[in-house]
Amino acid sequence: MDSVMEKSFVQLLQENQNLIHKICRLYTNSEDAHKDLFQEITIQLWKAYPKFRGESKFTTWAYRVGLNTAITLYRKKSRTVNTIEFDNTLHKINQEEYDYEEEEHLKLLYQAVHQLNDIDKALVFMYLEDKDYGEIAETLGISEVNARVKMNRIKGKLKKILNP
Amino acid sequence: MEPLDKLKNDWKKNGGNYPKFSEQEIYAMLHKRSSSIVKWILVISMLEFVFWLVLSFVLRDSSQMQKVSNLHVSYITLPLEIANYVIILFFVTIFYRNYKKIKVTDNARKLMQNILRTKKAVTHYIFAIITYNFIGMMVVFILFFMYDPELIKMVHEFEEKGNVGWFYLLYIGLALIATAIILLVYWFFYRLIYGLLLKRLKRNYDELKKLDF
Repeated sequence: MDSVMEKSFVQLLQENQNLIHKICRLYTNSEDAHKDLFQEITIQLWKAYPKFRGESKFTTWAYRVGLNTAITLYRKKSRTVNTIEFDNTLHKINQEEYDYEEEEHLKLLYQAVHQLNDIDKALVFMYLEDKDYGEIAETLGISEVNARVKMNRIKGKLKKILNP
Repeated sequence: MEPLDKLKNDWKKNGGNYPKFSEQEIYAMLHKRSSSIVKWILVISMLEFVFWLVLSFVLRDSSQMQKVSNLHVSYITLPLEIANYVIILFFVTIFYRNYKKIKVTDNARKLMQNILRTKKAVTHYIFAIITYNFIGMMVVFILFFMYDPELIKMVHEFEEKGNVGWFYLLYIGLALIATAIILLVYWFFYRLIYGLLLKRLKRNYDELKKLDF
């Protein structure tokens, strides 16, 4: 692929990389795995890029490829992971507004999401990203009604994990 | 407040606080090798095709097969050989067509479906080849019994001694052992793919299918 295309791709990705970081955030438990998945999504995006014609927004296109990579294509490497340590490093932000109780609760929430299965995580991700049920259903290839039902079940599941 | 909505607030507030990769780092990533399962399926499937192709060539040159050609029964062996290549060609075409259908931009369910279908073509291929080999082996055994002068002589000798039953038993036993070995190879490939490579994908696919009853 030519270098002009490569340049435009890298620029677009650099500007919109947050989206991929967010997917990695939900699907991985360590910094190494995060980087690994980020890299695989980048490769898959690059491979699909020649067919991206700008009909949809780059982000809409990228998050579909990203989610597909996380759920379907990516091969997890077996590593010893330390969820708690990773969650702490990611949350050492906005130090001045630190509310420890709130912080602790959020940490538990993220840990609860990590316990969900891959498909549930995809639904959670799109929910957090404010996607409507039509788009969630379309991305996963299920009906809208079932996407709604599933989302309600996930909410129930999370409550159960948090208050066993 | 719903736990998930609480998470959403934080997600929006802190969603932009990830360490950023530089353009140079992204460039470097583009040239790294993918370790996606699609690539692995392609590699392993090619190995499977090549494995059976090589095996058919090796077997063709074996002394047993030389003996078969000495029997002058090409009206049976030639169609068998042609069938072998037709099977290979047919499945390679199917595999390639399915492989081309895999698009990372499809919806998740369709993507998984296409990957599983691609792999299934190879599984069916192996199954077809094993069935073919089994039939081929049976045909060869029967041909030997019918035309091989050495074997006919041996059968007569055993018949005179009155233990021809043992001879047949040994013959069938060997055929079964050979079949068992081939089936073991098949099982190995099958486990390799479905056990290690596609376990997670299959689980996720079943989960999605369960949703759309």
